[in-house]
Amino acid sequence: MPIMEVRDLVKDYGKTRALNGISLSLEAGEVYGFIGPNGAGKTTTIRVLLGILKATGGSASIFGKDSWRDAVEIHKRVSYVPGDVNLWPNLTGGEVVDLFVRLRGSGDKSRREELIGRFDFDPSKKCNTYSKGNRQKVALVAAFSSDADLYILDEPTSGLDPLMGKVFQECVLEVKKAGKSVFLSSHILSEVEQLCDKISIIRRGEITETGTLQELRHLTRTRVAIEAERALPDLASLPFVHNLSAGGQAAGNGALFQVDTKELGKVMELVAPCGITKLECSPPSLEELFMSHYDAKAGV
Amino acid sequence: MRGNFDNSVSLIRFILRRERVISAVWVVLLVLFSAGLAPGINGMFPDDASRSQFALSYDNPVMISMMGPAYGIENYTPGAMYTGMMLLWVAITACVMNIFFVVRHTRADEERGRVEVVRSLPTGRLANLNATMVSAVIINAVIALLIGFGLAAAGIESIDLAGGMLFGALVGLAGLVFAALAALFSQLSSSAGGAMGMSFLALGGLYLLRGAGDMQGSDAISCISPLGLILRSQAYIQNRLWPVFILVLEVIIISAAAYKLNSIRDMDQGFIAAKPGRKEAKPGLLSPLGLAYRLMRTMLIAWIITMLMLGASYGSVIGEIGSFVGDSPEYLTVIGIPPEIADGMTDADKQDIISSYFGLFVNSIMALICIVPLLNAAMKPRSEEREGRSEHVLSRVVSRVKYLAGYISISYAASVLFPIATALGLYSSVAAVSGDSIPPSFELGSLLKANLAYLPAMWVIIGAAVLAVGLFPKASGAIWGYYGFICFAALFGNLPDLLPEWISKLSPMSYIPRFPLDDISFAPLAVLALIAAALTAIGFVSYARRDYRP
Repeated sequence: MPIMEVRDLVKDYGKTRALNGISLSLEAGEVYGFIGPNGAGKTTTIRVLLGILKATGGSASIFGKDSWRDAVEIHKRVSYVPGDVNLWPNLTGGEVVDLFVRLRGSGDKSRREELIGRFDFDPSKKCNTYSKGNRQKVALVAAFSSDADLYILDEPTSGLDPLMGKVFQECVLEVKKAGKSVFLSSHILSEVEQLCDKISIIRRGEITETGTLQELRHLTRTRVAIEAERALPDLASLPFVHNLSAGGQAAGNGALFQVDTKELGKVMELVAPCGITKLECSPPSLEELFMSHYDAKAGV
Repeated sequence: MRGNFDNSVSLIRFILRRERVISAVWVVLLVLFSAGLAPGINGMFPDDASRSQFALSYDNPVMISMMGPAYGIENYTPGAMYTGMMLLWVAITACVMNIFFVVRHTRADEERGRVEVVRSLPTGRLANLNATMVSAVIINAVIALLIGFGLAAAGIESIDLAGGMLFGALVGLAGLVFAALAALFSQLSSSAGGAMGMSFLALGGLYLLRGAGDMQGSDAISCISPLGLILRSQAYIQNRLWPVFILVLEVIIISAAAYKLNSIRDMDQGFIAAKPGRKEAKPGLLSPLGLAYRLMRTMLIAWIITMLMLGASYGSVIGEIGSFVGDSPEYLTVIGIPPEIADGMTDADKQDIISSYFGLFVNSIMALICIVPLLNAAMKPRSEEREGRSEHVLSRVVSRVKYLAGYISISYAASVLFPIATALGLYSSVAAVSGDSIPPSFELGSLLKANLAYLPAMWVIIGAAVLAVGLFPKASGAIWGYYGFICFAALFGNLPDLLPEWISKLSPMSYIPRFPLDDISFAPLAVLALIAAALTAIGFVSYARRDYRP
């Protein structure tokens, strides 16, 4: 049974539709990436899942319990990092961490100290002196020193430097190793690429794609660089070849392009007789995947 | 340095645009509070006899320490009396406005990262501070002119345009001195809360310093305080100008110091370094109620001290008032006891009824004042929600009801503490002034009864706030409009033909028995308490059912 399930979720703010029938399903032990541009509905989805917003239609449940009705019961096993961490100016970071851990239930004191060390964070300062990254650390330390079964993280690394981003990734991998589940919303794609088993892409309140990274790549393009002894055939006219350029070679002898991955074989057949001297194929990074995904959709 | 003030003009326009509602409300309130009250005060003391009766209350040094020296009582014109009663308080209100205004646009904006955005644009290093101060000058000038013309327009004998302009200018300049002080403290402290605290400490300290100087008859001490200086202009009496020049100089010198400090400090830093706080939370903080208490604690303590001190200062005046105006028929008429009834009363009865009347007046004012912090506490969950902070608590193992209850229970608990503080303050100073002969209405038990009688009305107002937070979060600020109406109805509602009776009855305060003049009847109080309970319950249920709306 999935640990978290969203079915045909609809959320309206007055006349604006923020979520238009989205469905998600997270199995125990999975790290689930939830990507989309700003304003796509990521935070709204998470707030419905936490029972802070009430769904207009459809259903959202965690641990088999209804997100709205059993919110408090669900929160006992959920650790949450909000996207925009606003803190009380006159409390110290350490006080807020303790408050957050206690309000959720139990916490591990030594784990708290360890995380404060790893995130290189000064808990004795008042929150109004913290930068965005430091406020984010307060929420992360509190979240990871809590003992939860599901971690819901809403763009958790915004404002963190790459070094701290690395510490964050370690934390996610540790809880994953311990068999916990993670729901990670992000627009920082490299982080999703490295951490997530499964990905959903949300855009304008609708899920446009769901699958493992593997499956999603299947739908997309491969980046190909070719050099050949003889002139290559005319690739530009092929409908499944994109962004063709000469790749710095003498005209006709080199090509750099993207190809729809399922058509890769046809391209190979065409270029094989030309005496290939160099062939590089790379899987698209999630960035490219994302761009091509939106290029296609944004056109309409 | 070149370009320190670049783009100040655009920033001034931007600040004034951001201020178009808040400052406009303050300006209107200040003008109503000063020029608007003039006819009412004149009506209460219509002739020389009644005014010289009132002048007698200046025989009390405590009265002088509260209100300022008794200028012009030899020939107590309405203008002289008006200045004596109002100038200090209007000026203090203007100071409060200016402190909020300046901190809002300097340190608070810096804390929120807005100054950083402005500084990254082609604006001068001092442009934001400069624009704030120039905007403050503009707003205070508008206030000064409106008060001056407004007072002249009231058409009261001896309240002329020249005196009015001086009165207005003194209010505006006192405000600007505190605007400059707030700007200075915004450089010293590294947080908006710190700057605000230091500014209000300065306001309180300078008020007390003036009080001490006035009580001892020392002009030198009083003139250290801008609040003492303004009184020495004697608007409508002597119309002296020298304090105006000193105030202008003070504004320039303090502002210059603030500009200098601002130009040599780093952004987000203050000259008084923030000391490290605790690394771990005390257990008391670790619950929704504990968090709510911690966030409200400073405000609550400050208000309790304020209520004690206000009570004590009123008490020192009231304790004596009966003894020196007790047999004056004018006084009895003013407070609504017709001469034919007064004739049949003994002197002791008269004194008693006068002190009771003033006690009632003071109690109702104090009840109105302490509604402000009660509403602050009850509305806090909404401001926490708007700032995006209640999400942290609500996403953990805390139900909506438990979260809301943290703040609302503090509001209800404070509603009991404030009237007790008022009663204790009043009693202590009445007892000190009158010795053995405490008027019966100022015995501690009687004072407690009188002040606690307002509880059900306060509860209705708290209940209305809970309802607003639960049911109309986006419009919940309207509760302050309701509070404004309640104050207006309480102060002026008994003036004939001002408000239709059914409108006055919309204020819960109108149902509170006028103890000790009337007996306390419990039926209306019980009904008010029930209404409060119903409003609170509906508020809680709606809050638990609605969306989180940052």
